[in-house]
Amino acid sequence: MPLLAYIDPGSGSMLLQVILAGVLAIPFFFRRLIADGLHRIRGDRTAAKPVEGGEDASTDR
Amino acid sequence: MVDPASFRDPSGFVYRRDGVVYRQVQRSAAADWEAFQASGLYERLVGARLVVEHEEVALDLAAAPDAVAVIRPRAIEFISYPYEWAFSQLKEAALLTLELQSRALDAGMRLKDASVYNIQFDAGRPILIDSLSFEEAAPTEPWPAYRQFCEHFLAPLALIAHRDVRCGLMLREFIDGIPLDFAARLLPGRTRLNLGLSAHVHLHAGAQRRASKEPPPADGAERRERRISETGQRALLDSLRRTVEGLRYDPSSQWVDYATTTSYSDEGTASKGEIVREMLADAGGATAWDLGANVGVYSAMAADAGYRVIAFDQDAASVEAHWRRVRGDGNPAILPLILDLANPSPSIGWALEERRSFLERGEPDVILALALVHHLAIGNNVPLPAVARLFARMAPHAIVEFVPKEDPMTRRLLAARPDIFADYTIDGFREAFGKAFRIERESRVADSPRTLFLLQRN
Repeated sequence: MPLLAYIDPGSGSMLLQVILAGVLAIPFFFRRLIADGLHRIRGDRTAAKPVEGGEDASTDR
Repeated sequence: MVDPASFRDPSGFVYRRDGVVYRQVQRSAAADWEAFQASGLYERLVGARLVVEHEEVALDLAAAPDAVAVIRPRAIEFISYPYEWAFSQLKEAALLTLELQSRALDAGMRLKDASVYNIQFDAGRPILIDSLSFEEAAPTEPWPAYRQFCEHFLAPLALIAHRDVRCGLMLREFIDGIPLDFAARLLPGRTRLNLGLSAHVHLHAGAQRRASKEPPPADGAERRERRISETGQRALLDSLRRTVEGLRYDPSSQWVDYATTTSYSDEGTASKGEIVREMLADAGGATAWDLGANVGVYSAMAADAGYRVIAFDQDAASVEAHWRRVRGDGNPAILPLILDLANPSPSIGWALEERRSFLERGEPDVILALALVHHLAIGNNVPLPAVARLFARMAPHAIVEFVPKEDPMTRRLLAARPDIFADYTIDGFREAFGKAFRIERESRVADSPRTLFLLQRN
């Protein structure tokens, strides 16, 4: 699918984004792995609590 | 009439017909519009009050050819702009934008722009007003709005948090966000040690600088398609969110303490409150603008009296403190905003029509100008008749406090300067305001030299 953005994404910004996405993916992946693991352990202990919606729901008050 | 701010995105536009706001979706955006509805994203976002809801209306209400849909979004009461927002309001708008992008990714879509002007404050919360901001995209495509997010949100937030709260006013000059090279130069060197700011502002500015030096691509050359991993996409979003969340601003200024350090005695405060409440009831109406609202003591009174209130103050710290209070109380009736009445928001942007001036954005039923006129007349040398004319332009009713020269607050304004204000007397006030208004009621505040006026426009 071609990029059809009406705003100028900026070639420098796009290049940086690709690099950052690569670099940030590694710690992010492990953090999520650990967070999921913790959720699962806690989830087993307190099965009634929902696992979803922790971090990502930050603005959904 | 097509909204003059609605020209950037060719996928649709906003217009008014008989005073009602509509948005037309163009054929070129049909697939994205269809996907937005079909994916259930629209319903979920409206359910969570993250996007303003709309009603689809008949196509013959379209304003131009090539419409595939016409919608009537719920009207937003007062359109405000980011240079009028307190730090926390801008921060909440930033986090909302990232949340929308995250939820869009879940639905196989994305936000195609991250314009700060797409967010408005509605009943005490930020909300996206541009329902045409979503498009279908694979999660492996880089986010085209990354740069815009950094310029519209991250740079001003970082400048406020790390340099000075008044940096927020720069958004009035830079309508498309703070250029990142400029932000990088203004930020203190220690922000390079902040991982997020170092990446999204400092490195970002460097990447833009290097790219601008590259030769242009050959005519007809294929644009290089870049790819990122889905985890990378989420990681970038997570990094932006953490960076924004890590930015803080602590409001403290002489004005934040103003309410507790006024010249009023307890008796005077009680008397003023009582008079203001009575005048608010007498004025009647649904909307009030509190000018010079400080941290909002009288805005709260107006809200209690049933008004929906916009509370303006020129001091960003006071507006921040006020916003935190109404947010904490969950009071959707009050919207605090930054505005210097001596130099209010002008019309800006293309043909000076994109962002409307303060005076072109509606008229409340009543304005409150309490402990304000002496700042305009003496602090700012505005003649009383000019103050009266401006107030009369703004609203049919005004509740105005006159603070005479013998009051300690006025004495302070005159402490270091000669008194050139011969007409600044209560008789001068009556004469100046008596031209544009009819004085409905005049009440002296107990245990104080001040007087409150309820005025009705002639």
